[in-house]
Amino acid sequence: MLSLLIFLPIAAAILILILPSRFEKVFKHICLGVSIIQFLLSLFIYLNFNSGTSAAGISNAGQYQLTEKLPWIRLDLGSIGKLEIDYFLGIDGLSMPFLLLSALVMFVATIASWEIKTNLRAYYPLFLLLNTAVIGVFCALDFFLFYIFYELMLLPLYFLIGMWGGVRREYAAIKFFLYTLFGSVFMLLVIIGLYFSVTDPTSGNHTFNMILMMDPANYLDGSIFSAIANQELFGISARLLAFIVLFVAFAIKVPIVPLHTWLPDAHVEAPTPVSIILAGLLLKVGGYGILRICYSIFPDAAIQSSWWIGLIGMVSILYGALNALAQTDLKRMIAYSSVSHMGFVLLGIASATTEGVSGAMYQMISHGALSAMLFFLVGMIYNRVHDREISSFRGLSELMPQFSAFVMIAFFASLGLPGFSAFIAEAFSLIGAFTSVYLPEWMAIGGSVGILLSAAYFLWTLQRMFFGQIRLKGGEEWKTTLYDANIREKIALLPLAALALLLGIFPSLLFDKMNASVLAFVQLITG
Amino acid sequence: MNDLIPLISSSINDTLASLSHFYAEIILAAGFLLVILADLFLSRRFTQLCFLISLSTLLLLGVQSVILLNTKTVFLFGGMLKLDHTSILFKLLFCFSSLLFAIFIRYNSPLQKHVKGTGDLFAILLATLLGMNLLAMSMNLLMVYISIEMVSLGSYLMVSYISADKAQTESAMKYALFGAVCSAIMLYGISLLYGFTGTLNFNDPAFINALKNVSGLSSGVAISLVFIGVAFKLSIAPLHFWAPDVYEGAPTPVTAFLSTAPKIAGFAILIGLLPVFQSEGGQTNTQYFDFNVILAVLATASMLIGNFTAIWQNNVKRMLAYSSIGHTGFMLMALFAFQGSGFQALIFYMAVYIVMNMAAFLIVDEIEEQTGILLIDEYKGMGKSNAMLMTTFVIVLVSLTGLPPTVGFTAKFLVFSSAFEAYRNTDSAVILIMIITAAISTLVSLFYYFKIPLNAFLRNSQIQVMAPGNSPKAYLGLLLAILLLVLIVFPSVIVKLI
Repeated sequence: MLSLLIFLPIAAAILILILPSRFEKVFKHICLGVSIIQFLLSLFIYLNFNSGTSAAGISNAGQYQLTEKLPWIRLDLGSIGKLEIDYFLGIDGLSMPFLLLSALVMFVATIASWEIKTNLRAYYPLFLLLNTAVIGVFCALDFFLFYIFYELMLLPLYFLIGMWGGVRREYAAIKFFLYTLFGSVFMLLVIIGLYFSVTDPTSGNHTFNMILMMDPANYLDGSIFSAIANQELFGISARLLAFIVLFVAFAIKVPIVPLHTWLPDAHVEAPTPVSIILAGLLLKVGGYGILRICYSIFPDAAIQSSWWIGLIGMVSILYGALNALAQTDLKRMIAYSSVSHMGFVLLGIASATTEGVSGAMYQMISHGALSAMLFFLVGMIYNRVHDREISSFRGLSELMPQFSAFVMIAFFASLGLPGFSAFIAEAFSLIGAFTSVYLPEWMAIGGSVGILLSAAYFLWTLQRMFFGQIRLKGGEEWKTTLYDANIREKIALLPLAALALLLGIFPSLLFDKMNASVLAFVQLITG
Repeated sequence: MNDLIPLISSSINDTLASLSHFYAEIILAAGFLLVILADLFLSRRFTQLCFLISLSTLLLLGVQSVILLNTKTVFLFGGMLKLDHTSILFKLLFCFSSLLFAIFIRYNSPLQKHVKGTGDLFAILLATLLGMNLLAMSMNLLMVYISIEMVSLGSYLMVSYISADKAQTESAMKYALFGAVCSAIMLYGISLLYGFTGTLNFNDPAFINALKNVSGLSSGVAISLVFIGVAFKLSIAPLHFWAPDVYEGAPTPVTAFLSTAPKIAGFAILIGLLPVFQSEGGQTNTQYFDFNVILAVLATASMLIGNFTAIWQNNVKRMLAYSSIGHTGFMLMALFAFQGSGFQALIFYMAVYIVMNMAAFLIVDEIEEQTGILLIDEYKGMGKSNAMLMTTFVIVLVSLTGLPPTVGFTAKFLVFSSAFEAYRNTDSAVILIMIITAAISTLVSLFYYFKIPLNAFLRNSQIQVMAPGNSPKAYLGLLLAILLLVLIVFPSVIVKLI
């Protein structure tokens, strides 16, 4: 089932590559078909998902659902035993919501890809490859496999930004690539250290199985990452160092201040569909990695660094919000608002409480839908007049009423209005931060100030762009090109708006499915 | 004199018995003679006869090596040579590289159109391959020297095969002079070792024991001198100066060959000599000479110099030359845990390295022949005019960087883990620094490798270069690139052989 979900896009990509070019017009429909099938499959998975405590997953391999395990690489390493790499997939409450989100965001991104007109034979295969990689990351339970999917995301993104991006696309593409690779190269070293330390209790082989890495009993005596041996590297505990390396690798993706500088560039230069995927999914890969890998494998080091992670979260919230307030480019503003909103994820995780972690998960799903919506909306304006300066527009609500309605939903939902998903997510993260024994209260207060700031920049933008007399930079000419949302765009926007509203009114839709896993997770990290 | 007479019959018997394990080399020698004869008498009528003969010789050789792969260790010709699993693996790698080289020559138009014809080149190839095979099996310092010279002479001839302009002649001359000096130094080192130990057979335990009784300083000097000869073949820093000039000046197929097979031959002999080089390490008196530290420093230096210098190169061949210096440094890392996972990691890396490097040069050559472009700057817009070729190139470059979804990642991963194992066993800070350097240089390598897709796909050029149809070379490159993608899913294809 999961393999089908992962490799369906690859099959479609190969199909597109071999089809003769007179079928160029149907490429987008193939791509759309893939994401619809994926959505239905993941909806099916969601509905049949066992949310009982007996299926919590996290550190218990038997409790994962839809597992697939095939031996992949077996290598005899002589003196140190055997190397064991599996093709191992499975989901629990932490990964299942992301499958649904991925399928939805991919669907919206495909619709946004209608605007791409050049070089379609290259575009869609890269797009589908990215799709495979993202879903693969959320399903992989073998660290080696996870890393392959994780790295696989970089290449298509590099080309998608670099070939279909804006003016400074070269710079943005390579900056993004180098930033992420910097994190992941060192992550590779940690992975190698881990597999030297961990053995499979049943076969005695060295293994990459992430679930086995979460159990301290599987670590070899005296190995580098054994909690008991407490080895040191450069005068720091090896486990803490490994945690920091992994955290930095994922935090670059999230992104955290001060490692966020690739994000505004990448977002602004990327074409709309890629921005949607970047904000909607790739940032979540960072958050998911922190939960699934950093915290679950190194809980002791994680708790030890809670204060710092909380601080980073709070600084990201405030710094992102203040920056967003200062932007004149609409897309850049939304990019910074992403930085700010993802800060809540970190704050929630750092609290190490059930409320906080649930809030963090909820924020990731909610922000995935909302940021996809926001970037889609920006893309609509940019597509029509090739301008997205906030000051170029005034009184749009009169000119484009339906479009403005969607913008208002997206803005109000994002600023955390009760009744929308972000409210619940941010509230839970902050409750977690307030009740946490690891975080001081001023961090939670700082986070609350962030909500206030986000209300400020969203409302201010709304006022500047949508209210008042119609005054456009392009004058009369723009009035004709700025037509209202068409059917295709509404099809993309409606499910996102519906999801934001649905999750805001019925939080149990998501909480019920992941609660068992979140409890098991908190149990694991706080011991 | 009379004492030796009873030995004659046993020595004849030994030789005769050895011959039955020597088929591979006999096949090669026969192929070599056939190519020469064919070139002399039949090349007018059947222009590609030499190619066909070499191709069939190489195929026969490959099949023969695969069959013999799991043979028991035998010593041939009175302990001169050793035929075992390791040496056959190396022979297989040489054979694979030569096979690709032969096809490369066949479809390289400057070589094909040259007045000399390609017959001699095929003959030189087979002779060089013979030298490399002997090198991989050598157990005797004299044998090492002879086979290294055989490989070197072949390489000198290949580099200067066309020598159309001054630059090419200069690079060939540089190579020959530098090589001659290095081999003279090596010979001096060998004579010192012989003086210390009284034997040339370095497999003999007496050799190592005798060496341990010599003062650390003198044996260190002798070992360093021998190592210089090997390091020259490997082109590791600081003996890498010749590589960029020679790689740039030589015909592209020759460059492709030089950057793979002789380099791997260098590793074969380095592995053979490793116990000798490391003999000082076991002693308490290591203040003069610790070979492992030297090797780690050189590996680190090669990675740094190779990768950082490559950033500033604009000529593709020169860039690949520096990158291959970096790769050699990377491969050296596998030697530190050689008893454990290092051996498998190294062979795996080499096999993948041959595929990647050959594919890269095939494509570079194809681009040069189609458009005359050799500078990375001028690749602008090439992604549109020849999408298939450039896509192939990107896959190969991704693999050279060591990223998924190509097998270059698996190879890199295995070497990293063997280096990590070495660190775990020794806790040496030098090795840890080496590992971190390797990680950083991976990052740096992305920077220069991706200049090519950056130009080809992300930039547009005013001048539209019209590319004529692809030659078989391009399709061979594509095949190798697909191989890189397939092998990451099925690495067991290579692992099984090891």
